[in-house]
Parts: sequence; structure tokens; C-alpha cells
Amino acid sequence: MALSVSEVLPGLGTATTRRQIWSIGGGKGGIGKSLLAASIGWQLARMGRRVVLVDADLGGANLHTCLGLPAPARTLGDFIQRRVESIEEVLTDTQAPGLRVISGAADLLSAANIKHLQKLRVMNQVRALDVDVVLIDLGAGTSYNILDFFLLSDVSILAIVPEPTSIENGYRFIKSALYRRLRAIAPTDDVRALLDSALDPKNPQGIRTPAELIGRVESEDAEAGRTLRREIAAFQPRFVVNEVRDTADVAIGHQLVAACGRHLGLRASYAGFVHHDDAVWRAVRKRRLFMSDAPTSRAAEEIRQLTRGLVKGESLGHGY
Amino acid sequence: MATELPPNGTPTSGGQAPMRDDLYTVLGLEPRASSEQVERAYRFCLELYGEAAIATYSLLEPAEAEEQRARVREAYQVLSDEQKRQAYDSAQGFLPPDSPVLPFPSPALAPGAPELPETLTGAELRKIREARGVSLRHIASVTKIGMRFLEYLEEDRFAFLPAPVYLRGFLQEYARLVGIDPRRTADAYMSRLAPHS
Repeated sequence: MALSVSEVLPGLGTATTRRQIWSIGGGKGGIGKSLLAASIGWQLARMGRRVVLVDADLGGANLHTCLGLPAPARTLGDFIQRRVESIEEVLTDTQAPGLRVISGAADLLSAANIKHLQKLRVMNQVRALDVDVVLIDLGAGTSYNILDFFLLSDVSILAIVPEPTSIENGYRFIKSALYRRLRAIAPTDDVRALLDSALDPKNPQGIRTPAELIGRVESEDAEAGRTLRREIAAFQPRFVVNEVRDTADVAIGHQLVAACGRHLGLRASYAGFVHHDDAVWRAVRKRRLFMSDAPTSRAAEEIRQLTRGLVKGESLGHGY
Repeated sequence: MATELPPNGTPTSGGQAPMRDDLYTVLGLEPRASSEQVERAYRFCLELYGEAAIATYSLLEPAEAEEQRARVREAYQVLSDEQKRQAYDSAQGFLPPDSPVLPFPSPALAPGAPELPETLTGAELRKIREARGVSLRHIASVTKIGMRFLEYLEEDRFAFLPAPVYLRGFLQEYARLVGIDPRRTADAYMSRLAPHS
């Protein structure tokens, strides 16, 4: 994304080394975000990238289990609580060369509500890691912490399963993230006030979508309208549809992209899909990652395709 | 703003009329879309706004979805009828439909995508491509694969094709744009190369 982190979060320093930050969010829990993160990270490492997976699912952390690791000695919680000074100290090796993991703080009840300064410290050190890709597994929900990690990413992946609840949460996630981003760059108090009220579906102005919001801002302040428009254009979430079972499920990704364009005014894209595959849960039960446990499975092949596409910035379907 | 976005991503506000308010936009098409693309776009939009559609039900009120369906049907009635479409095009100043065509968001694995055989020749690939209304030029312009390579590929001129690892990539890109399974396409085509490599 084009927006710099310091614009979203004033007070955040500038990273010295250039790396890519990828994040996987989706609003809803139990849709396979952690498995997607683990397998995409695994594949990136296979492709020669130096990868660190970060389990930011604070409170519901299980990325280490997806990777077949025992509960880690040190977690992100130790870093947040300053029991260790450097984030390097909570890195754990995995069986895959090039792939390391920072486990989440399952023990830390309040971790999901880490404070602003703690968050800046995490972000600064994550961005200073000497690797090629930092891949963040966001937890469920739309808390500010989660949205901020999503917004600071170069590649923002939105995981969906073909179920109404997941899609509803997905849209809510997109809207919340977008409005948080717009709010951070809102040029005037009037615009900020309008943004705050627009998130309420029953707002008195009757604003329901980002497109309507921009129309309203533009009619009052053309310059501010242009600013917001640029931000919206730079916000490009990439859908991954997980657990598809047939071609109708596969097509949902295209429908989401079309619906985002037509009714939210957003340029989303369809990064790929992964079939529901028994090989995945068989591997989970063995506490192994299906990428290595069942490399010839359909899901593993689809993760490879998906990851290659994400690296190249390609999306499925139309080629405009 | 509408013109710089892909047709299927044309923003509208709420359930209101799109900014580029023509029948092609309603179906997410470019004015030069082929009749096959009109069919595919129509089916896609009906599903998008269908009563059971999970991609839009939480964005649109039932009445808005019905309004969208009505617009889709209206657009289809004109664009699927050659005479009505000609009259509409000339009234609106649109060019007649001819190549190069822009395929409608043809999903890799589009609904209705053909089952692929174990092996595929270049000529068979061309047949599938033409049946699905995708021009070689379009594939070349999107994928940046040279026209010449695409022609060699369809002519089975193996000596002129690149190393297998690149060829596989080409085939997958080709398949993706045609809307057939990329991996199977590459496997089926390359199965004929195996003995020589």
C-alpha cells in the first residue's frame, strides 16, 4: 500500500531496511487464517525468501501448533511485557529453512488490548527485522490493533470462507480498516466528524458506503474529497477464499471483487482460493503442516499457486 | 473516476446508478464485448445479485438487489439481441463489437469451464480459446508474453518454445485468461513433451 506507516500512526519511526510486510485478516475466527499464514509462509521460505511469521492473534495464538512446534518458551507477550528487550529474542526456528516464527501470547489475557506505545514498539521492531517477508497472522475481530497491522502491510490479505457470516465480517473488516485509514489522514475536523458518523449504519446523513462518503465530502470540500479518493484508490485488499468445495464457491471471490467495486467503490482483487481438503485436517491432527505432510494434496498445490501470485502481485480471472 | 477502473470494478454509490451509466457498465463489460462475453457477464451478474447471493446480501437491501437484477435483465435484453444492440451502439456512439476483445472476468475455473482431456495439442487449445472469445492479442497484452510465442504454442512448434519451466508459466497464464484450469492445461500440453526432455 502506498500510505506510509507514519501517516497511519504518527510517532512510528522509519524503518531502516526495506522488507515486505504481509498480513492476513478476515474479521471472523475459525476460517483458517493461521493455517493460511503458516502455509503461505512455508511456501515463501521454499521459494528462497527469509520469512518471519508473526502470530498477532493475541489471546488466541496457535500458529506454532500449525507449524508442528511445541508451545514456545518465549512469545510476543514476553516482548510486549518487556521481559525481553529485543524482538529477536522471541524468534523461534521451524523445521523449514528460512522460516522462523514469533509465537503469540496465548497466556496474556490483556494482550489483545495492548497499549498504543506497546504497539508502536512491536511495529518498529517487526519492521526492523532483517528478513525478506514478515507475515502477520491477525486475530479475529476488528480492534484497532488488528486494523493497524493490516493497514501497515504491503500486502493485505483478507481471508473468507464461502459462508454468509464470514463474508459479512469481511465487509465489516474492510470498512473499518478503510475508515480508520481515512480518519488518520482526514484534513479537517469536519471531515473527521463525518467519518466518525459514517461508520454507524444508522447515521443521520444516510451515508452507507465509502463511495457515498466521498460524494458527501466532495460536495463540501473538493480538496478533501480528492485526498480521500487517493487513499481509497490505494487501499487494495486481496481476497483469499478458503475451504471452497465447488466452482460456485470459487466464483464467490469474483463476486466479492465485483461487489466491492460496484457498491463500496473499492478496488479489491482475488488472490486465489484453497479447496477444502481432508489432507489439511489429517495433517493438523498429526500436528504437522500439510505443505510438508501432504505436498501433493490439492490444497498444497493451491497454496503454491496462491503464494506465487501474491509474490508477483497477480490476481485471478480478469486481466485488465 | 469510473473510466480508469476495470469494468467489473466500476464504482457506484449504494444501489444507485453507476457513474458511467450505460448498459455495458451494468453488466461490467466493455462496449466491444463479444456476444459470448455478454452471456457470461449476464450469468455472472444474475448470480451476483441473486436472492441467494452471499456476496451482496449484506451490502444491499432486498429492494436494491431486485433493482439491480432488473437493470441487469434490461441490459441483457438489448445487448444479447444483435439488432437491438446495433441500434443501441449507434445511438450511443459505441463501436461495433469486433476484436480485440476484453474478456469478462473469466474466472480461472469459470463455471461452465470445459473438462480438460489428459493431453492437449496446440490446435485444441486454440479451439477452446476461440470458443471462449479470447483473442491471442489480449493474452499477449495482459501477460506480456510475445505474440510469436503464443502462436508457436498453438502451432506445437516445440523447437521454438522456451525451456519447460518457462513454458509451464506461459501455459498457466494462457489458461488463466482463457478461463480453464491452469495447472491441468500445463500438464496436458506438456505431457507430450515429456519423452523428449
